[in-house]
Amino acid sequence: MSTQPSVSYIPPILPAAGDQTAVQAALALGKLLSDMPEYQAFLNALREVNNNAEVQRLSVKIREHNNALQWGKGDLLEHQSATEILQAELESLPSLRVYRQAEEVITHLFHAVDEVISQAAGVPFAANAKRSGCGCGG
Amino acid sequence: MLTEELHTAALMLGEILHNSDVVQKYLKALADCEADPETADLEKRMRTIYEELLARQQRGENLQRSEIDDFNTLKRQVYQHPRIAEREASLIRVKQAFADIADDLNISLGTDFAALAQAGSV
Repeated sequence: MSTQPSVSYIPPILPAAGDQTAVQAALALGKLLSDMPEYQAFLNALREVNNNAEVQRLSVKIREHNNALQWGKGDLLEHQSATEILQAELESLPSLRVYRQAEEVITHLFHAVDEVISQAAGVPFAANAKRSGCGCGG
Repeated sequence: MLTEELHTAALMLGEILHNSDVVQKYLKALADCEADPETADLEKRMRTIYEELLARQQRGENLQRSEIDDFNTLKRQVYQHPRIAEREASLIRVKQAFADIADDLNISLGTDFAALAQAGSV
């Protein structure tokens, strides 16, 4: 039997907590968030969008116009106009509207959680937790 | 909006981070900078000049080479100041530690917590 605490285990607050304690607290918080019905609704809506053929079709077309804009191919105004029309069409799809609503709930929830973490930490958490992606460790 | 259980778990993570060496060192370096009039003045000068140069450039004005060189000299002076260098180095360590913790949070979630939390702030 594993001696590791389960992810729902919430460790006590230690004055000089080690990294492992922070990892356990993060896993516990993540488990609580992922068990929330709002989060499950968000994941379901995301799956729905990812599996929707019309969403995929419109997304591919938008990417094609964006690529043309990026590389300066063809009439730029035409590409811009087409992108706006396709984006509006995409946003009007019922599955995307459901997703946007679920996303709004989750972003607000996560923002509220981040505010609690940041205030207690004394340093903004999410703003400093994003990896730069440059491979420089920043 | 947050349940008591969720609030407690978030608070606990925040307090653990606050008590960690990496955050304590950064907070001390930050306080040292704020308490030092020299560093505060240097940074204020750098910000003021930067904003002024940027505004002029955005108005279509061509900046003199000497102005850019002067700004870069001041910028080097700012980042080579021992207190500021210490604060910046400790902030890099905080970012690394926070990114690692966010990765652990993301393992439970299957999505990017930091990106979604930041999207909720706009």
